[in-house]
Formats: sequence, C-alpha cells, structure tokens
Amino acid sequence: MKDYCLKNFDTNSKPNLKVGKLVGRFGEFLKGDKWRLGWAMVAVLINSAANVATPLIVGQAIDKFIFDKNWPELAGFGWTLAGIYMVVAVSNYFQTVLMGRVGQNILYRLRSQVFEKIQSLPLSFFNQNKLGDLISRINSDTDKLNQFFSQSLNQFMGQAFTLLGIGIFVFYTNSKLSFWMMLPVVGLVGVTYVLSSYMSKRSRMSLQSLGNLSAEIQESLSYFKVIVLFNRRDFFRENFKKANENNFAMSIKSGITNNISTPIYDLAWNAGLTLVLVMGIEMIVGGQITVGLLIAFLAYTDKFYAPLRQMAQVWSNTQMAFAGWVRISEILDLKTDLEITETSNNLKTKEDDVLVFDKVKFSYDGEKIILDEVNLDFKKGKTYAMVGPTGGGKSTMAALMCRLYDPDSGQIYFEGKDIRNYTGKELSEQIGFILQEQFIFTGSVGENIVYGNPNYEIYDKKKLKKELKEDGLEELVERFENGLDTEITPDTEVISLGQKQLISFMRAILRRPKLLVMDEATANIDTVTESLLQKIIDKLPVETTKVIIAHRLNTIKKADEIYFVNDGEVVSAESLEKSVEMIEKSKRKS
Amino acid sequence: MKKGNIGIFKEIRPYLGLLLLLMLVALANNGLNLWLPKITAVAIDSFSGQNFEISKIIYEMAGVSVIIFIFALGQSFLQTFLAETVAKNTREKLVNKISEQDFGFVNKVTPEKLLTIMTSDVDNIKQAMTMGLVQIFSSAVLVVGSAVMLLRINVKLGLIVLVIVPIVGLVFFNLFGHIRSFFKRAQAVLDRLNKVIKESIVAAALVRIINSQNKEIDKFNDQNSQAKDLGLSIMKLFSGLIPTIGLLANSTVILILLVGGKLILAGEFTVGDLTAFNTYVSMLIFPMIMLGFVSNIIARAVTSYQRIEEVLNFEGKDDFGDIDKEIKGKVEFKNVSLSFGQKQVLKEVSFEIKPGSKTAILGPTAAGKTQIFYLMSGLMKPNSGEILIDDVPVKKYCQKCLSGQLGLVFQDSSLFNLTIKENINFQNREDETNLKKAIETAALDDFIKTLSDGLETKITERGSNLSGGQKQRLTLARALAVNPKILLLDDFTARVDRSTEKDIFTRLKKNYGNITQVLITQQIASVEDFDQIILIMDGEVLAKGTHKELLKKSPEYQQLYSLQMSTE
Repeated sequence: MKDYCLKNFDTNSKPNLKVGKLVGRFGEFLKGDKWRLGWAMVAVLINSAANVATPLIVGQAIDKFIFDKNWPELAGFGWTLAGIYMVVAVSNYFQTVLMGRVGQNILYRLRSQVFEKIQSLPLSFFNQNKLGDLISRINSDTDKLNQFFSQSLNQFMGQAFTLLGIGIFVFYTNSKLSFWMMLPVVGLVGVTYVLSSYMSKRSRMSLQSLGNLSAEIQESLSYFKVIVLFNRRDFFRENFKKANENNFAMSIKSGITNNISTPIYDLAWNAGLTLVLVMGIEMIVGGQITVGLLIAFLAYTDKFYAPLRQMAQVWSNTQMAFAGWVRISEILDLKTDLEITETSNNLKTKEDDVLVFDKVKFSYDGEKIILDEVNLDFKKGKTYAMVGPTGGGKSTMAALMCRLYDPDSGQIYFEGKDIRNYTGKELSEQIGFILQEQFIFTGSVGENIVYGNPNYEIYDKKKLKKELKEDGLEELVERFENGLDTEITPDTEVISLGQKQLISFMRAILRRPKLLVMDEATANIDTVTESLLQKIIDKLPVETTKVIIAHRLNTIKKADEIYFVNDGEVVSAESLEKSVEMIEKSKRKS
Repeated sequence: MKKGNIGIFKEIRPYLGLLLLLMLVALANNGLNLWLPKITAVAIDSFSGQNFEISKIIYEMAGVSVIIFIFALGQSFLQTFLAETVAKNTREKLVNKISEQDFGFVNKVTPEKLLTIMTSDVDNIKQAMTMGLVQIFSSAVLVVGSAVMLLRINVKLGLIVLVIVPIVGLVFFNLFGHIRSFFKRAQAVLDRLNKVIKESIVAAALVRIINSQNKEIDKFNDQNSQAKDLGLSIMKLFSGLIPTIGLLANSTVILILLVGGKLILAGEFTVGDLTAFNTYVSMLIFPMIMLGFVSNIIARAVTSYQRIEEVLNFEGKDDFGDIDKEIKGKVEFKNVSLSFGQKQVLKEVSFEIKPGSKTAILGPTAAGKTQIFYLMSGLMKPNSGEILIDDVPVKKYCQKCLSGQLGLVFQDSSLFNLTIKENINFQNREDETNLKKAIETAALDDFIKTLSDGLETKITERGSNLSGGQKQRLTLARALAVNPKILLLDDFTARVDRSTEKDIFTRLKKNYGNITQVLITQQIASVEDFDQIILIMDGEVLAKGTHKELLKKSPEYQQLYSLQMSTE
C-alpha cells in the first residue's frame, strides 16, 4: 500500500522544495484571471507613473513659480495636479477591485481543487492523516494565499513599479545624489537575503503547528463523551496546552523573524535621507543643484523607501503564503494508487461467476499479511456467509470486493473482467456494500437514504416513498419519529447506531446492486427488525449475489455456502455445524 | 458594535502593563519620527547662514535614526509577544471553558463551530492585536503629532489642511455601519465549510463505495461559492475606501502648494516650511490609509470576538457533587423521563439493580437503551425523575469518584490517536496489575503479542488500523482498566464472534465476578441466566424480571424469544 502520510516539517527536516515547479503550477490557478491581472497591471503602472511624476512637478512649481513669484501659472499647475490625482484615485480603485477579485477567485479555486483532490484519493489517505490538519490545510492555508493575492501581490506589484520608476528617474535627473540616496539599499539586500531562509522555514513551522493544534481540538471534541466519562478533562486541557504552547513558540519565532525587517528598513530609510540632505546641501553650496531639486529629492527618498519598506512586509507575507502553498501542494501532488487500467489479465471465469478472487494477497502495512493467496469464487444468485474470529480478515475481504484497496498481488474479477477495469461509477452501480461503520450526513432521513443514488439527483420524496413501498422498506422508515423528514446529524446521540444501520441498509437496497456485501450490517438491530430485513433481502431479485459477514448464526443460516476466514486463509466450512465448530476451535491470533 | 468593542477591551485588561509599555515605545518611536522633518527643514533654511555646521546635522539625524531603530525593534518584539500571548491565552480560556461543560454542550454548539472559533476566530483577534491596536495608536499619535506640527508652522494653512480629518472620519463611520453583518456571515460559512469537509472525510469509505465524490464536491463548492461571494462583497465595500482617502490626501498637496505659495509670496512662509508641511501632511495621510486597512481587520475581529464571547459567557457547567465514597453497585431509576426537544426518549422509567447482580436491557432499535447508560453514568441529565447509585443521586457524586468506579463500553469505539496502552489506561493510573487484568479479560493479550510494538503500537486516525472487534475489545479493556464497581456494556456482543464472546464472559466472571454488570443486547440467548432482564420499547419499561418470569408474564418477551429461537 502506498504511503499517503503528509509530511510534517519539524525543526531539523529541510523539505525538498522545487520552487520552480511550485511556482509553475501556481500559474494554472491564475489562468482564468489573466485579463484581470493584465488590467490590474495597467492600473498599477498608471498609479506608479503618477507617483513618480508628482514630486518633480511640485519641485518644479516651487523653483519656477514661487521663486519667480508667478502666481497665475502656479494656479494652473494646481489643475494639472488635480487631474493627475483623479487618475491615481480611479486607477487605485480598479487595482483594488481587480486584485481583490483575483484573490477571491484563487481562494475559491484552491479550496475546490484541494477538496476535489482529496475526493479522488483512496481510503488509505484518510487512514494516514489527521482530520484536523486536513481541515486546516483546506481552510487556513488557502486563506494565506488569498491574503497574498488580494493584498500583498497587489501592493508588491505597485511598489515594485514605483521603485523602479523612481530609481530610473532619479538617476536620470541626478546620478550623484541618487547614488547617495540608494547606497543603504546594498545593506538591505544582504539582510533580506539572510532573513529569507529563516522566514520561510519558520513560517512553515508555524502553519504546521496550527495544523497540529486543529487536529488536537478536532479529536478531543469528537470524543468528548469519552473525556467526560473517564473524567479526563485534564487530558483534553493538557494535550491542548502542549499543542497551544508549541504553536505559541512557533508563532513567536516566525512573528519576530517576519517583523524584524521593518525596523531595519526604516533605519536604511533614515540613512538615505541623511545622506541626501548632507550631500545635497554640499551640492547646493557648490552650485551644482537648486533648492527645489533637493526638496524633490528628499520627497523621492521617501517615495523610494516607503515602498521598499512595504515590500519587506509583503515579503514576509509572501513567505507565509509560500509555506501555505507548500502544504497545499503536498496534497495536490498525491496520486491515487487505484488507477483504472485498460488491460485485463483475462482469467477464464465461468458463466455464472460474479466475483472471483485469484491468488489474492493483501497487507495494510506491507508486513502483516491479512490475506495470503486467497482463491474464491462467488456465483450468481447465491448467498455466501463469511465467518471467523475478529481481526481474521473478513472486513478486509469485503473492502477488496468493492475496491477500497487493491491487492498486493493477485487479481479480483467482477463478471469476468479485472475489477481494476471498471470505473468507480460502474462498480458503485453494480456492487452494494453496507459497511461495518455507519455514515450519516447532516440532513433528513430521506436525503440520507438516497445519498449518492444516481436516480435521485434531485431529492424527490414522492418517488422515494413509492419505491420504498415497492421494496417493502416503508416499515423501516416508521422507525424514525418523523419518517423520511426526520432531521439527523452524524454527531447527535439522538439517532441510534441501529437506526444508522437501517438507513445504510435502505440506501444499499434502493440501489439494486448485482452483488450485495453486508459487513455486520445488522449487528446492532433488534431481532424483530432483523427478521424484517431478512424478508426484504429474500425479496431481492434471484440473480442478486449476497455476501454476508456476521457473528450471529441466524444471519448465516440461510447461506448457500459458508467460508471461514482466519489467519490469511479462507476455507469452505461445508456446513453450519462445522463452521460453528471451526470458530469455537480457532485459536484467536488477533 | 459597541458591545463587541468593549468585550475586546475587557480581554486586553490582563495585558494592560505590557500594552502600556508597547504604547510608550510606539509613542517614543513615532514622536522621534516627527522630529526628523523638522531637522531637515532647519537644515534647508539655514545652510546659507553663518552658523551652519553640517556635522551637527549628521549627528542629529544619525542619533535619532539609531534610537528610532532600537525603539522600533522593541516595538515589534513586544507586539508579536502580546498578540501571540493573547491568542494563546484566549484559546486556553476557551478550552478550559469547554472542558468544563457537559457532553450535551459540545453536541449542541457542534465541534465544527468550536473548531472555527478556536482557530480562525482567535486568529482574527490576534491579527487585530498585532496590526490593529498598535497601528491605531501609532496612527493616532502621528495624526495628532503632525497636526500639532502643522499648526505650529502655520495656523492658517494648518487649519485648511486639517479639514480633511473629519471628512475621513465620516467615510469610516459610514463603512462600519455596513460591514459587520458580512463578517458574521463569512465566519458562519466557514463553520459550514468545515462541516462539509469533516463529514466527507469521516465518511470517506462510503463516499468511495457509492461513488458520490461529485456530490461531496458539489456540496463543498456550494459553500465555497458562498464564501467567495461574501468575500467579494466585503472587498467591494473596502475598495472605494483607500482611493477616496488617497484623493482627499492628495488634494491637500495642491492646497499647500497654492495657498503656501501665496503665503511665501506674501512673506509669511518659507520654502523650508513648505517642505516640512508636505512631509507632515504625508505623515498625516499615511496613517489614515493604514486605518483603512486596519479597520477591515478590526471589524473582522469584533465579529470573531462575539463568537468567542458566546462560548466564554456560557453559564453553567457540568455539575457534579462532592460525595466521594466506595460504591457497592446498587442502581435505581425512579420515574426517569428524558426528551430531546420535542422527542420523548424515555418515559417514566423505573427499575432497580442489586449490587453485584447482572442485568440485561433488551429492546428494539432506538428504544432509548443507550440513553439509559448515558443517564446512569452522568453524561446526561434527565428531565424528571431520579437516578440513584447506592441510594445517592448520580450527580451528587464527585466526578472522580464516579469515573473511577463506573465503566461504560460505548457502542461505537471512540479511540484516540494514542498508543494502545495510553488508550486502555486512559485514566493514567499507575496500576500495572489492573491494566494486565483488563487486557487479559478483554481477550487482547494474544492480539497485542502479534504486534511488533506491542502495547506501544499507535492507533491510527479513528482506529483505522484495527478491526471492528478489536476496537470493541479495546474499549472494553479501557472500561475495565478503571477497575469498576459497575460495568455497563452497550451492545458489546454485536461485534465479537461467539467464541470470543463466551471467552470474554468467562474471564469477566473470573476477574470481575462481584461487580454489577448491565448489558444492552439483542440476544436473549446470551443473557438467559441473568438476574434481571428489562424489556424496553419506545422509551418505556414493558416488563422486567428473570428470564423465566418474563416468559410467563410478558407476551412481548415470549414473542421475541420464540422468534429468536426459530431463527437461531
């Protein structure tokens, strides 16, 4: 079986990040928003150009009109400025709206994709990962990326353009003064370079610790009754405290690393100002520049360093977003190991063979063998019972019949074709499986009965009622206080395990499967109801093949064949008496 | 709005010292920042003068810059520390509150909502703390400071420029009126998203068997688009804000240029003043734009805080008494009724169980059997009637006393992501002999021997590496490990095979022979020799007595028995 365990980064592990691949795939998420991004870029350009131009205009105004005492032309200048500022406001608005939409679109797409990916993964994935951490990845980590797009990237682009524009412009205007203005940037580049690797590592750790925290809360809340019953409220508190404190430590670390750059950038900013002022005054004294130019340069210094400082802040958000993206990518990178194959190693199955196990070998962990070269065939219209001690491999066999897992070696054939040749849809239409564990979704009993039923794309109570009557299931519905309309949730203790089993039963029968597998499907149902279920099963079309896993002998009695499953082997038990004897004798190895 | 704000401030109180220090540092930091333009202005106006010394300016600028740097560093440390501390403590407070509640509370509020509250909502508060509070304070300092500086340089021009401050305030006020309901809905959508994710992951096996992945995806995307639409609505409200403030700010630049220019011409103003004015105005504007950003965060935090407060302000907790004594094992129900909302689950249920006896509770699906166990163990409270253990109401016992003497094996196996040993020894007792006895009685010893890590084997998420019967036996061992005086088994035999069942009952008799046992079951065969059988139907006690008595007096029991005999 494939390893589906998502990596958790700890302090020592260095994740193998292929940045190019990560960024490359991200491009796909932007596809639908290309034109929005394009227009946003235009808005950003306009905005930056205006930002670059205005200080110079003001500086010129001071030099030309104030020193020359030319009032009327100064007033005219005011109008020009007003026009430019209007343009800035409009472009700023569009920039925000466009990028905000891009951010929301990306958030939507990311969440959808992660969720869809998860839906495409086999059961093994869910057995190996914590629910809380998955929720955290789907919700929080994707939101980090949304923040990046709706706020950070937007700012980053604007700042970068402004920075570049101002850089080029000032150099063109006065390269000597520009040199002094930008000298502190050299130091900043070094500092940022050193900080970045810390930032990304610590951001990842902080997200991971949040995932762990969420997993801790999730587990304790789901099993709250156990916690109360065993008076282990302290267990909940202590475990939570550990995760909480770990999260605290990680968040402080990442928070400080992410916030440290702002003061450093401010220092560089002030250094730049000082240099421009001092050198500028010397240049004025030397007659190289005018006062107006110095004033403009001081304004440019502010306009140069302000975006730089913001970029530093944005940079730390980027690291956080990137860390989130790494965690999301990890899920997106997974591939199902239950692929649908084209080729079939054709086995000569007989006409009436519905399901055939051919040398099937299976283990969950690659070590402990559950099924060892099992050969079996199930014939059309017959009823089979699987008996044996707990942990002997009965449920595993049932799971393989529905392809929840693939065997390590050997083949399973359904109606003469390798089970791996069927699509999920084809299999689900022909094989009905009532699981040992019962699953309910929030909604009404009726909605739960037709859950996933292709004939009920839209819930139709009338149709359902009619069909339930035809199948003799309507009596079962009466076991719920408000019939089909009874509202249920998986968590409430209001709905009993037996009732859940009734729903699962109806759900499977309504789908009219060719092969019906029942894994202790009626274990918690009372005998009266159970005999009713038996009648319903008896009324199924004669060609329906039934496989029943049960402990109770009365359920097994009607079987045409009884198989005894234990210790990796499956043997025919010949008769009911013999099977009872085998169970009694079997040494429980599990 | 007001209430939420006050609530948040209440939350801040314990950190007032730290916050004050932070404000002080921020104040110093911003104050110094206000000084820099003044130095520049003086330099520009005076360099042509005689007493001009360039080195003095360098020292001044450098000195102030370094001090700002130190303060800023301190501010960012303090800020991070404060925000994370508040987040940590709020979460801890929430957990302490939740962990005190009874089982019904968590079910009612739903685990999904509690999860969102403890992660996303706390995160919103934290963000408001890091960025929000200090930003608002610094902004206020900068706004007031620059306003003062502006007025000091030139009152007339200063006043003209400052007109924009109330206008910006009005813009904010208008926005806040609209935004709150959106944030509330956004968090509620997040609850529902969590629920869809959770249900689809828990039911992963079913979803794969009936190939309903697309249905789950549709359900998810439905909530997901709702989240997106809300996100867009919120974004639209804010998108006009920053450009508007920006425009207002920039219009002052024009004002300064025109009016200031005129004043210079009139000799009331200097060019240096004009430079300083421009800088101070940008110092005034920038914090206002920041307030625009921050108002988003604050509004979100206010909504989140209300959700947090709802939990924290929840009155009442799981109330247990303080009686602590050894239980003999007598159980009595006196006219016990229980209902969930409209639905009556138990009606006037009365029975008595003698210490050390064996009792079976029999009845159809959803008859209310499991609820009897929940009541007996104090997990639930009845609407009326009394539940007595050794003639004392259950809830009068202290929780430790009850949990140490009562073992309940749940119908579903809720095992934690811990090792087998930690799961069985869930009460963390240092009692190896008892642990061994419990494991042996639950017939787990052979199974544990086959595991390479033995007792230290970790149980994976939701017990997925165990079979149904193994999980059931583990929960039995967990209940036995407390060495109970009363053992409640909820449909325990449903998932274990006949021979194991027999085996376990023999061991139970041998190792825990004298304790009170109550068994919920469907099978008469396994309880024929019990001291008492209680037949329950639709929440009512239909008959009680020994097997023989019931065969005589209860037609329902006879019917059930003959049905089971005929199919057996």
